[in-house]
Amino acid sequence: MGRFSWFTVDFLRAAWRRPPPLVRSMEEAYKIGVRSLPILFVIACFVGTNLALQGYLAFQTLGGSHLVGMFVGLAGIRELAPIIAGSMVAAKAGTEMASQIAVMRIREEIDALEVMAVSPHWYLVTPRLLGIVLVLPALTYIAMAGMVASAWAVAVFQLGLNGPQFTQNVLDTISQTELFFGAMKSMFFGSVICLISCYCGFYSKPGPEGVGLATNHAVVLSAISCLVLNYVLSEMVYG
Amino acid sequence: MIALENVTKSFGEYVVLDDVSVRFPMGKTTAIVGPSGTGKSVLLKHLVGLLKPDEGRVLVLGTDMASASPREMASVRRRMGMLFQDGALFDSMTVGENIAFPLLHHRLDMPAADRTARVEEVLEQVELPGFSTRAVSDLSGGQRKRVGLARAIVTQPEVVLFDEPNSGLDPITSDSIDALIGHMQEVLGITFLVISHDIVGTLNVADCIGMLYGGKLIAWGTRDEVVHSEHPMVRRFLQRNVELPTHPSSSHRLPRA
Repeated sequence: MGRFSWFTVDFLRAAWRRPPPLVRSMEEAYKIGVRSLPILFVIACFVGTNLALQGYLAFQTLGGSHLVGMFVGLAGIRELAPIIAGSMVAAKAGTEMASQIAVMRIREEIDALEVMAVSPHWYLVTPRLLGIVLVLPALTYIAMAGMVASAWAVAVFQLGLNGPQFTQNVLDTISQTELFFGAMKSMFFGSVICLISCYCGFYSKPGPEGVGLATNHAVVLSAISCLVLNYVLSEMVYG
Repeated sequence: MIALENVTKSFGEYVVLDDVSVRFPMGKTTAIVGPSGTGKSVLLKHLVGLLKPDEGRVLVLGTDMASASPREMASVRRRMGMLFQDGALFDSMTVGENIAFPLLHHRLDMPAADRTARVEEVLEQVELPGFSTRAVSDLSGGQRKRVGLARAIVTQPEVVLFDEPNSGLDPITSDSIDALIGHMQEVLGITFLVISHDIVGTLNVADCIGMLYGGKLIAWGTRDEVVHSEHPMVRRFLQRNVELPTHPSSSHRLPRA
């Protein structure tokens, strides 16, 4: 924890001294977005279908099947879309960051950056962090849209619910604040995923086993950290 | 000035450098030789500030790297170049982009055309003209070393450090790298510091030689002084006798260069 704190301090110091390389940040955002989007969209859609199904089964016995839309809005948009987007980015982009940086460590490329008086924290972490922070809100909104659309499809075509009423229930539940907070949450997740993944790569042990361990630690620590952070942020805003 | 003063470095209980003091002559090629695991690369990493000593001072171009602030260290590093063991080239970039990298970050006012011309110039110097658009993945081991050397000298540093420039190369390529190092030192006239376990190649390029063994500098002097040293470890190393004891039994110092 101490070493991670120093890593974060070094990163903040480097980012403060020199603005991130914008072109490389955009490239990172593009890579993270494009690579994570297909899997994220598929998963978000199928989470949406199950939200509708389980919501229907729970509320039908109470005579409240019209509340399925509200359930999808609350659970899906407030909670699941940001955390699913974060988890997918951790699994795709986070592991890639950790393994790339770990290999650079083994090949002495990080040492070479230092010897060339280029801060590795600035060169390797800032564009990745800016890229992930820029792209995760967009991915979160796409996940929200996929989730609601698939839930709507199941609710209307499979469960026979009233489509306009479902849509109105979702809209009644979700305000601009929820959407804004979802984006903010995902930015926090993105920052945590990037810092943890880069840290795991930076301090990777030598050899292929070291790269594997760094990648593994990156995804596990990122996922756990995002889940804990999700609870803390939700408690702060909705608690 | 480049010097180590009473430098000691341990990793756990393993003492890698044991009270090492040495002053490297400027404008010449100095080689530090010794068997694997004797602390040669650790010594080099102290000089560029990648490692800090447990005790002692590491003086490089007027700065103590052991206590330098990040800003001071960066300032010294801009005046140095380093060839890493495997080149440490960035695979995602072309040869030209790799060489231009230090210029892009430290010569912000340099026009792109001048940068390109400088890259071509150093590629000529390392005998790889026209290689700037090649992918790093297409290079052979010897070519990677040459590109690494081109990157190390592109900013016209005062000191260039070489970490095992012959490692992983066949004897012919190894000789050509040694010849290139010797030629570059003559052309540039700057300070070269070579870390190597290849004693034969070292004798071809070095003006001064030091031998590290068991964490201590057991021999130091001009090339001729070291070649004629009576120290048993030096003799064994010169005769390529690999069966060296784990720890030196004595320390025999040759006159300082």
